Amino acid sequence: MTPTPRPLCLLAELTYRCPLKCPYCSNPLELRRYRDEMVTTTWQRVLSEAAALGVVQVHFSGGEPLLRRDLHDLIRSARRLDLYTHLSTGATLADEATFERLRSAGLDAVQISLLDVRPSQNDWLAGAASFDKKRRAVEAARQCEFPVTLNVVLHRHNLDRIQEIVELAVQWRVNRLELAHVQYVGWAFRNRAALLPTKEQVERAERVVARARALCEAQLEIVHVLPDYFQQYPKACLHGWGQTFLTVAPDGAVLPCQAAREIPGLTFPNVCDVALADIWFEAPVFQRFRGESWMSEPCRSCERRDLDFGGCRCQAFLLTGDIAATDPVCHLSPVHELVELALRESTAGKIAFRTMPPDGSRPAIPD
Amino acid sequence: MSGNLSRPLLVRHARLRWDDRRGQHQLVFPEGMLVLNESGAAIVRLCDGRTVAELVAALSQSFSDVPLAGDVTVFLDRLAQKGLLRDANT
Repeated sequence: MTPTPRPLCLLAELTYRCPLKCPYCSNPLELRRYRDEMVTTTWQRVLSEAAALGVVQVHFSGGEPLLRRDLHDLIRSARRLDLYTHLSTGATLADEATFERLRSAGLDAVQISLLDVRPSQNDWLAGAASFDKKRRAVEAARQCEFPVTLNVVLHRHNLDRIQEIVELAVQWRVNRLELAHVQYVGWAFRNRAALLPTKEQVERAERVVARARALCEAQLEIVHVLPDYFQQYPKACLHGWGQTFLTVAPDGAVLPCQAAREIPGLTFPNVCDVALADIWFEAPVFQRFRGESWMSEPCRSCERRDLDFGGCRCQAFLLTGDIAATDPVCHLSPVHELVELALRESTAGKIAFRTMPPDGSRPAIPD
Repeated sequence: MSGNLSRPLLVRHARLRWDDRRGQHQLVFPEGMLVLNESGAAIVRLCDGRTVAELVAALSQSFSDVPLAGDVTVFLDRLAQKGLLRDANT
């Protein structure tokens, strides 16, 4: 048995509150159950424990992390610990002054989400007028000399505009464009039938991206995350469970994967009760899918088992009810037909937008 | 981005750090990092806008087994291709 590696990357979900209603949000469906948010000093302790554990990069995320008034203090603390700091934001609450403050706090890099290249489509999917705010935020972040990643989640409703998306990224002069297909877990799983693209859409988009990548190489890095429902083998989810990533949720729950929270039968320790290092090395939920002993066939004897680690645990659970099953997107899975069935049954159907807890439930955030 | 920078300068968003836990030099940038050996870290530290010739000369003062100028150029090209260096003249 190989020793457990130390984590490289911490996803710090500071809050689940968000002004946007993206129907593929990675936050839990039952947002009402998770209202608590840790106070500044607890987050600072988490950062310090993460740095001691070996974390190199921190992603401040949410929800919308800009809703936390202590964001600057947390970035400053992270930088003092020599952590590389990212902000993942919807950017509807950010102007130039915001980015200047983030710059002086020591923030290293900014990732801004865009839902679609067409303002009306973007605003419809986000559930809020946000396109112009995002455009201005990208400009403000560039003014402050941040490296900017524009993140566009791809699905049936925007995939045919992938060429225009690339052109917009060039026009907005971002450094990186992340084109990531929806991962069908959480909210996206609920909306799967309405979001799944067609095979023709996916293949056309692949050709467009390959061409654009060759043309834009000098000015724009394009990252294209392919949709695993259309692949032969599953993705190497998280580079293996409990290997390099950990997520700390707003209330302090520590998760191997941000989407794992609502899988029944998993218990997540809380950093308010247990030291982060003890959770990483000892907690049963982190140990559960390390190594290969948990695997069943066809993974157990598969020569790709150390390449894709059996795929995504959350997806295995959502599709089969068994979290230890082979990820059904693998063509070798005995229930791969579940994926083919989902592809056949996808339609441009009704979308359930992410809903917020009632306003009255907002926790008080100390200044 | 191609190589052949006359005055290589580390871009603002790339950071060289020492990882005490793992005992390694790391060059960290958005969504990624490179693990560097001693001479790699020494070269990156010298990417402050001086010329490549000056960089190689300074390097020879720190290392008895001086990396060859050709090796240094290959290494700098690799970093430039990843967008981690720019030319201080531009």
